[in-house]
Amino acid sequence: MSPASRLATVLETDRLILRVPVLADFGRYAEMLASEDAARFIGGTLLRAPAWRKFLQMPGAWTVQGFAMFSVLEKASGRWLGQMGPWRPEGWPGNEIGYAFHPDAWGQGFAVEAGIAARDWAFETLGWNDIIHCIDPGNVPSQKVAQRLGSRKRGPGTLPPPFEDVPIDVWGQTRSEWLAAKRDQPASCRNNA
Amino acid sequence: MTIALGPTLETERLLLRPPTREDFDAWAALMADAEHVRFIGGVQAPEVAWRALMATVGMWASEGFAMFSVIEKATGRWIGRVGPYAPFGWPGTEVGWTLVREACGRGYAVEAATATIDWAVDHLGWTRIIHTISVGNEASKAVARRLGSRFAGPVSLPPPMSAEPVELWAQTADDWRASRRAQTVTA
Repeated sequence: MSPASRLATVLETDRLILRVPVLADFGRYAEMLASEDAARFIGGTLLRAPAWRKFLQMPGAWTVQGFAMFSVLEKASGRWLGQMGPWRPEGWPGNEIGYAFHPDAWGQGFAVEAGIAARDWAFETLGWNDIIHCIDPGNVPSQKVAQRLGSRKRGPGTLPPPFEDVPIDVWGQTRSEWLAAKRDQPASCRNNA
Repeated sequence: MTIALGPTLETERLLLRPPTREDFDAWAALMADAEHVRFIGGVQAPEVAWRALMATVGMWASEGFAMFSVIEKATGRWIGRVGPYAPFGWPGTEVGWTLVREACGRGYAVEAATATIDWAVDHLGWTRIIHTISVGNEASKAVARRLGSRFAGPVSLPPPMSAEPVELWAQTADDWRASRRAQTVTA
């Protein structure tokens, strides 16, 4: 499948829509990166001008490689909640399922709900055999999300520039671990509509 | 299905088209040439250059314009990026240029910039063309002069470029059209 034909990808869960980022998402994205709490573990706060450059990496990567993180929207309101999905920048230590959410979207299970859909899409549609999450050792909420997605801590890792000085642990799961967990789970609990 | 992010422009010696993944190695090599890129933010590790390439494609996808990749027709080589550029907070609608060292001094920057200014004026409807040029970058100022732009004073750029002392060069779209008409008559 060509990269361009994936630009229309939309995933739907009970409460959420995951779709390719568009410029209209930028305002809320910039708010997230301006928030000390939200940006601490994802490279630090950014002013709007550098945040705009960073934002555009996602539609660019979607265009050239056919995947990147999705924008996560609340179905009921259309509100942009955050980013979630496959991400593999140059030199990255694996196939990441990454995530970052606006502070007003925390604590409501949105990351796990979006993460299940994105994880399944990466295994099923991209055919990835292994997924990782690079998480700051101090970022407990993010570790909990990784755990609830079925990943476990593998140990410390290093990131390429511009994040070479950021301490991270690599969390992850293999395709066979994912398949085994899926088998053990009753269909009614699955959330990959 | 091909991605029609934007047009392909053709000049006598060059092809200009939106960047693709295949441009990455040459793009990263350009941004690793420390002395050569000192006026445009400095050297970038390949992993950082990849992000800038993605952002440029993202600008094309989101806004319908950004810098073009410049291909030398005779060799098929990627020789740089030239064209419209207006990131968030930028002081105007820029046409900019960065060519690899080996492609400099042959009139390529003027040739490529001319084609992209034509496109920006005709298709984007830009009414003013600016170039933000580091104070010490005489080669780039010479290109701006040959394009008919004039020094318009000091200017400050948004982060991450805010530390650099920069000059604004500019011309209006009307000036551009008038000088293009004059060239056609002379030719």
